[in-house]
Amino acid sequence: MLRGFLILVLFFLFGEALRLVFLIPVSGGVLGMILMTLTLMLRGRVSDALASASQALISVLVLLIMPGVVGVFFMASQFSGQWLAVSAALLLGTFLSVLTTLLLMKQVVRLSARSRTND
Amino acid sequence: MTELAGRFMAIPDVLSASPIFAIGLTLSAFFAGNWLFARLGKPLWMPPVVLSAVMLAAVIAVLSLDYVRYQQGALWITVLLGPATVALGIPLYQQIHHIRAMWKPIVVTLPLAATMAAVYAVVIAWAMGATPEVLASLAPKSVTAPIAIGITEQLGGSVPLMMGGLLITGVVAALFVDLLAQWLKIDDERIVGFALGLNGHAIGTARAFEISHTAGAFASLGMGLTGVFTALILPLVFRL
Repeated sequence: MLRGFLILVLFFLFGEALRLVFLIPVSGGVLGMILMTLTLMLRGRVSDALASASQALISVLVLLIMPGVVGVFFMASQFSGQWLAVSAALLLGTFLSVLTTLLLMKQVVRLSARSRTND
Repeated sequence: MTELAGRFMAIPDVLSASPIFAIGLTLSAFFAGNWLFARLGKPLWMPPVVLSAVMLAAVIAVLSLDYVRYQQGALWITVLLGPATVALGIPLYQQIHHIRAMWKPIVVTLPLAATMAAVYAVVIAWAMGATPEVLASLAPKSVTAPIAIGITEQLGGSVPLMMGGLLITGVVAALFVDLLAQWLKIDDERIVGFALGLNGHAIGTARAFEISHTAGAFASLGMGLTGVFTALILPLVFRL
């Protein structure tokens, strides 16, 4: 598992290095993730060490983000006066985007199913 | 006796100087949150991360610890988000056959839906007079946390505010998908799962795995693709 963790760390560092050298506006983690997916597609399989290390990290994602989440309770005054805008954006915005996704996906799946029967 | 009491009172102050204290606090809150979640009967609107965060914040406040100092200690935990993001590439690869089977609907829906998830929130907040810093914090609200942190830092937003927004988005997205799928008479688990992951990131994905394994696979897919797409597009859009 530690061996798998080392692979993840190396991909992350490589992603960070790419970001710094080519001034890519995407975090090193995301670049590392893309590189990881592409590498696995080329290799065609995942080693046990890598699979168990990634599973271990993904299963504690909530733990990793918690120190950041807690910060929301300690900045109340900083954004005072904007809470209404923030709540409206989150609630209404999420409602609309869920509706958009479901309608779009439903239409496209139906259309592609129809074109398949016509072929 | 007062000397002993004095030393007793100084315990939090002395111990919190070491990162191991922040690590212990965070781990305790993580397990306590999971335990309480199970005891409450796993309510959809109150995921373990909310319970853990509230308890952790309460402990920090009660012990009157310095939040900045806590966060410095917790850096030992948060730096792992980098490799954890890379780790998301593994399930993405494992679901590559799902992408191949549904690639047309996914290619059409994803860019539009992922863009709209950010646009709706930013436009509503902007219309109600939010500052650019707040807008930058709201834009990645549908993106999974490790990726969203990178995006917000790049856009110049506030990470704590973004995290709060992420949390609320995940919880309400799970509720709205359930309601709207019923209302629109959508029973295709692939569509429901994809919508959960695309809009509700990790929290929506956890909900999808409760529905079925197929829904869960499509949710991870939606979550991963939305993360990558938003990470690539948002910084470019915000630069304009």
